[in-house]
Amino acid sequence: MAEEQESALQLPPSTAPEAEGPTEVSPETATPEPPSSAAVSPGTEEPVGDTKKKIDILLKAVGDTPIMKTKKWAVERTRTIQGLIDFIKKFLKLVASEQLFIYVNQSFAPSPDQEVGTLYECFGSDGKLVLHYCRSQAWG
Amino acid sequence: MEEDEFFGEKTFQHYCAEFIKHSQKIGDGWEWRASKDCSDGYMCKTHFQVKNGTAVSHQGTSDHVQTFLPVEEALDAPLDDFEVTETTAAAEVIKYEYHVLYSCSYQVPVLYFRASFLDGRPLALKDIWEGVHECYKTRLLQGPWDTITQQEHPILGHPFFVLHPCKTSEFMTPVLKNSQKINRNVNYITSWLSIVGPAVGLNLPLSYATAASHDEGNVSGQDSSIE
Repeated sequence: MAEEQESALQLPPSTAPEAEGPTEVSPETATPEPPSSAAVSPGTEEPVGDTKKKIDILLKAVGDTPIMKTKKWAVERTRTIQGLIDFIKKFLKLVASEQLFIYVNQSFAPSPDQEVGTLYECFGSDGKLVLHYCRSQAWG
Repeated sequence: MEEDEFFGEKTFQHYCAEFIKHSQKIGDGWEWRASKDCSDGYMCKTHFQVKNGTAVSHQGTSDHVQTFLPVEEALDAPLDDFEVTETTAAAEVIKYEYHVLYSCSYQVPVLYFRASFLDGRPLALKDIWEGVHECYKTRLLQGPWDTITQQEHPILGHPFFVLHPCKTSEFMTPVLKNSQKINRNVNYITSWLSIVGPAVGLNLPLSYATAASHDEGNVSGQDSSIE
């Protein structure tokens, strides 16, 4: 299987406050992470600490949703689904009114505040979590 | 037209039955209610929430407790992993009801919901919205539904808020088509509710996701190259 593309681009941690509310644990500004580790970064060359803080996610497009050039990402466990949605929307340059849904098992949309670490525990295999994403039309 | 796109009432009832089976396994509280003449019915769930403070923990959802804190208050409270905050003396219990009915005209399921205090006083939509978490608010406002309206419950006759179903088949189709590609049977109700639920504060425990795929024993995470 050679569909994963691991590029060398390093995603700068977003400093813009994300509209996720106080229960969001993962914004870079809130976690005591060293500034060099972005919450979402490509590839799996993560320095492994006592517990691996990031998990590997493979993103797959559904329907006519644009396919991301980089599909494999290392994401902090505490990143929420909403955070991931915002990231993908920015990455794909979707307009604000377009909605993006993320699915596990290709059919189930986890709650926006669900942490990817938990999803990885439940649905990950072969060392990664496969998530499908689907864009919905821009509703007026 | 593929069978999966035609979502008749029998299919609706079948998926609801499967959904409820799992709900019973995990104690999630969904039930089926048949109409008086038993010709049709709906699926429903009731849960209680304490407003202005404590969130009632849901069984099986230790990772995502439904919190209905007003946003201003939520910003003040030092929430950490959904820790329960101090309850004020004037805390009130609110009863939330979620009903899943079948729409004959749109041939899709529809989500009806309402909230009321224990003495029966209904909550206005804006009060319900006020309690919706910020990240859900985005979905609520930008989701693939035209609007939330207040309508008479087709079977009970009481006023409920309704997520309009006209766009449902549009956002469900890609998901269903995708699953069809790999011969995976999807519980329409589970998928649909997982998408629309959070917008009104209804979260499905993750175990529903695995329940849906148990039927044909497909292991998740095996990525096949369908690019």
